[in-house]
Amino acid sequence: MEGLLQNVIDGLGRGSIYALLALGVAVVFGIMHMLNFAHGELITIPGYLTYWAFNNGWNWFTVIPLIVVSAVLSSLLIERIAFSRVRGATDFTMLLTSFGVHFIVSAGFLLYVSASVKPIPRPGWFANTLAMGSLNIEIFDLVVIGVTAVVLAGTTWLLQRTMFGLALRAAASDFDTARLMGIKSDSVIRGAFALSGFLAGIAGIFWIMREGQVTPTAGINPMLQGVLAVLIGGLGSLRGAVLGGLVLGLAEVLLRSWLPLSIQNLTTGFVFVLIALLFIFRPGGLLSVPQVERV
Amino acid sequence: MFTNSRRDVAFPLIGAVTLFALLFGGGLMYQTILGNGSAQRLVTTMLVDAIIVIGIQIYVGNTGILSFGHIGFGAIAGYVFAVFAISPAEKIKRIPMAPFGLTDVEVPPAVAIAIAVVITVLFAVVVGIGLARSGAQSGSVAATVITLALLFVTHEVAKSWPELTGGNRGGISFAIGASLQGRWPIVAALIGALVIARLYGQSRSGRLAVAAREDNLAARAMGVNPLVQQMVALLLSVAVVSVGSALRVWQIGSILPDRFFFAYGMLTLVMLIVGGRNSVTGAVLGVAVMTAARELARRLGQDGFEVFGIGLDGAPLDWIFRENLNSVVLGVAMVAFMIWRPNGILEDWEFDQWLYRRVGRRTETKPGRLPALDVIPDAQFSASGISVSFGGFQALSDAGITAESGEVVGIIGPNGAGKTTFVNVITGMVKPSGGQFSIDGDQLTGRPSFELSRRGLVRTFQNLRLFGALTVRENVETAALVAQEHRGHRTLRDVESLIAEAGLWDHRDRRARELDYGNSRRLELARAAAMAPSFLLLDEPTSGMSDSESIAMIEQVRHMAATVGAGVIVIDHDLGFITGISDRIYVFDQGSVIASGTPTEVQANPRVQAAYLGSAAAR
Repeated sequence: MEGLLQNVIDGLGRGSIYALLALGVAVVFGIMHMLNFAHGELITIPGYLTYWAFNNGWNWFTVIPLIVVSAVLSSLLIERIAFSRVRGATDFTMLLTSFGVHFIVSAGFLLYVSASVKPIPRPGWFANTLAMGSLNIEIFDLVVIGVTAVVLAGTTWLLQRTMFGLALRAAASDFDTARLMGIKSDSVIRGAFALSGFLAGIAGIFWIMREGQVTPTAGINPMLQGVLAVLIGGLGSLRGAVLGGLVLGLAEVLLRSWLPLSIQNLTTGFVFVLIALLFIFRPGGLLSVPQVERV
Repeated sequence: MFTNSRRDVAFPLIGAVTLFALLFGGGLMYQTILGNGSAQRLVTTMLVDAIIVIGIQIYVGNTGILSFGHIGFGAIAGYVFAVFAISPAEKIKRIPMAPFGLTDVEVPPAVAIAIAVVITVLFAVVVGIGLARSGAQSGSVAATVITLALLFVTHEVAKSWPELTGGNRGGISFAIGASLQGRWPIVAALIGALVIARLYGQSRSGRLAVAAREDNLAARAMGVNPLVQQMVALLLSVAVVSVGSALRVWQIGSILPDRFFFAYGMLTLVMLIVGGRNSVTGAVLGVAVMTAARELARRLGQDGFEVFGIGLDGAPLDWIFRENLNSVVLGVAMVAFMIWRPNGILEDWEFDQWLYRRVGRRTETKPGRLPALDVIPDAQFSASGISVSFGGFQALSDAGITAESGEVVGIIGPNGAGKTTFVNVITGMVKPSGGQFSIDGDQLTGRPSFELSRRGLVRTFQNLRLFGALTVRENVETAALVAQEHRGHRTLRDVESLIAEAGLWDHRDRRARELDYGNSRRLELARAAAMAPSFLLLDEPTSGMSDSESIAMIEQVRHMAATVGAGVIVIDHDLGFITGISDRIYVFDQGSVIASGTPTEVQANPRVQAAYLGSAAAR
């Protein structure tokens, strides 16, 4: 029982990061209908800045704002340079554009930094645990869960209670009509990318702390987890994205603890098999959004 | 005639061989001029890449679904090939603990390739079912993520199953019984891949897949089941990719998980899209262009301008000319093409089809007018009690019509009367909450739309849905291909006559997206007629047309229906058009039928005048 509880907390901690990433992907998908395969670069770029900052005597208190700000700026910059030019293009074109951006960023770091692993020091409290009865809970997990809860609450407020949120949701449900109603498409799209970057920045803080290193291809895994979480939750649903992230985190941790030791290193493979089964029996994801076919 | 053995077999074969000759000949010239071992290796690599890219083109090009998973399939094929082809002596060193007693197995490379293809295709069947369940169609995001996930799973398994794969570090580097001496297996496989890709592209399945790529909904309305064609394309495509991947492993002489992962996936995709993913010619061109661009970038990265014989110390562009420049080139090429030319250099230009049009069409003569059918096959359509509600809104309640072959039945009503909902129900796009409809007593309620059209209920769309990248002729042929299989008991009119009948003879080889509005409408009618329908369902056929065009349309619809012996059910809100064309009329208002009868009866009906013409007319 304790073991299970411990795993659940562990899984929620992991899942919270995925949820933040997935929500960022979902916000952009909602507004542009583009699944952003470059979302992971919003962790790679701040990751390298973090590495640079630590080498120049910064500490975590100054690095954390650096990560968030650089993620937001990168997100806006990528939108400006690449994605704004393929607005309204076919899904195929947008998918490949975002994939190309991922590749340019990672190849850029390969070109100008190096292929080797760059270490980043973890904060002192990273490995500390909190003893509660027979439970040993990692402080890190608690911090992640707490911060994520606050950020999600803030995002919900933003989307539900502000004019920007209303504009964003209106544009996500019908972009053309929203424009006709006087919503400025540019500012809404940029707002969506800024929000997506902010969420990725928060996730990035924890991702970078947990990994303790950065490489040119560091963006691949967070991108994949974010994108998968969006699909697990249900493409087109913001709530689904968060749910999908949490479910994915829990599935990883619980599966790892249940699998026999000999095949434990295949956990990721089994997670994918579970996801495949989900898609086969519930193709629209957990909170599937009804797709209306326009005749 | 719509299967043309010259166009669909002979010319594609010529095209395949020509493309091979160009790629191989170009490679040979390059390596002869440079005359060193590295040039030779580059050319061999290019030929192997070409096999894999052509394999991917068969799926991605024809279905429009972006797949990262093909490199994952390639990984499976590569490992299967390696595990079967390496000598036991070598395996004892690399993978002594291989499961299933594979350590002691050794087969000749050709057999190992065959085993790799079979096993990989079996995996593809499973993945294909998953893709179908996800409702894959052109540009489908969910389908692409599934293929991406496949790429990760294969990579993950390859890394974490060292007993079989040699894991991440050592991999399997090996000596195969016979190492790849000379290039003949690669050459043979490349020719084979080109032939398969071109023949498939012109085959029935390939053309139906392309139709679904262009417009999934319209393809289904023409009796195409896109999921079946996508599966065929996937299996063929994976088979070709498997052969290419096995050859890649054989040529390199080793396999590591990273060899078939993101970087290679990116390379092959860029090659595919730069030339033009929709054509095999484009895929081959992309392979050549990107191989050259990357080689140039690699050498610029190594030596800077010295590549061109210019020695500059501390050259101003040193910040660009660095090692790994070639991988940046890939990313930049992809984004640049997506922004400025998303369909690649050649778009959908196919060499052999171009050649055929230049050489083959001189012999064509315009067919004469089609006569009306002497005996109209008897058919009866009836719908009764159809009810639909969206949320709390009752769009249709207890609506019903009947129609017989040979007659034209009009449905009319003001906006919001439920006309379009009614059409959507009887074409399988909306499931009714009550009621049923049938042709000759054959219950059709709840059937998918592709099945309804195969049973003879064929529709057109209010907002034109043509297969834009296909020519006029190919649009009509798509329907004819389906009719050939499912409507064989009816009189099938040949494609060229129908095109001439619709007044499109001079436009027959133009792409549908280039047609003007009136011609597009006529093409849609001809395409629907090619299905040899029992009933032709026209959804607002005159929307956007002038009065004189509408009148011409009446004549056209009646004649088209008579030549294929179909009854017509036509929906419109234009009273003049409907009374001009119909034998009988149903008037819809607020979800129910409020009147029916001949045009004169209906026009005289006071309820109709009140509902449709407004109270002013009723006074």
